[in-house]
Amino acid sequence: MNHGSSRVHGTREQLTSLSATSLSCKAPSARSIGTSQAKPETVQKVSDIVREQLALSADTALTAESKFSALGADSLDPVEIVMALEEKFDISVEESDAQNITTIQETADLIEDLVQKKPAAQAS
Amino acid sequence: MVDKSQVLSLCRSLLRAGRKYPDYNIREYTKRRTLDGFRMNKNLTDPSKVEEAYAEGKSQLEVVERVVKVYLAYPPKTKNIMELKLQ
Repeated sequence: MNHGSSRVHGTREQLTSLSATSLSCKAPSARSIGTSQAKPETVQKVSDIVREQLALSADTALTAESKFSALGADSLDPVEIVMALEEKFDISVEESDAQNITTIQETADLIEDLVQKKPAAQAS
Repeated sequence: MVDKSQVLSLCRSLLRAGRKYPDYNIREYTKRRTLDGFRMNKNLTDPSKVEEAYAEGKSQLEVVERVVKVYLAYPPKTKNIMELKLQ
């Protein structure tokens, strides 16, 4: 899954830089995974919160595929991270979803999915 | 025996309940105390100790939910200065 998604992710980055609308980011091929690939900005926002939460130094490499466990997180850090993300994006994460995320990409995908499902016309 | 997902679920419930406090001080305290409490006990292996800690967490959750209602009845009239800085 990782190889395929990084290739698609790369293509999408080019698309994002060319166009302003978010609709162009969603290629049909990504839907088969369940939630579509998140925009790079979302991944960046998630990474920032993770970096802050885990108190990582500025030169610690943080990619979308980084696993929380590899970054030195214990089992409670994702709980805190998800709480911080809920507040930042004004969403509510289900218990089952929250317990299944292990990488930054998965977190960003879930966040975007929930943001889109929000009924209110708030800009995220 | 209480399993890991139940423990994480309890932690999340406590954090969610604590977010409802309109008072900055108790809100931050609840968050800090919850995480400290769970971190302190995260390496417990003895089943009876785990059950004990879990039961304590559950009773604290009830306390938080009850006290939140009291605080909501008398919300502070001004924002705490710490909240202003975060904005």
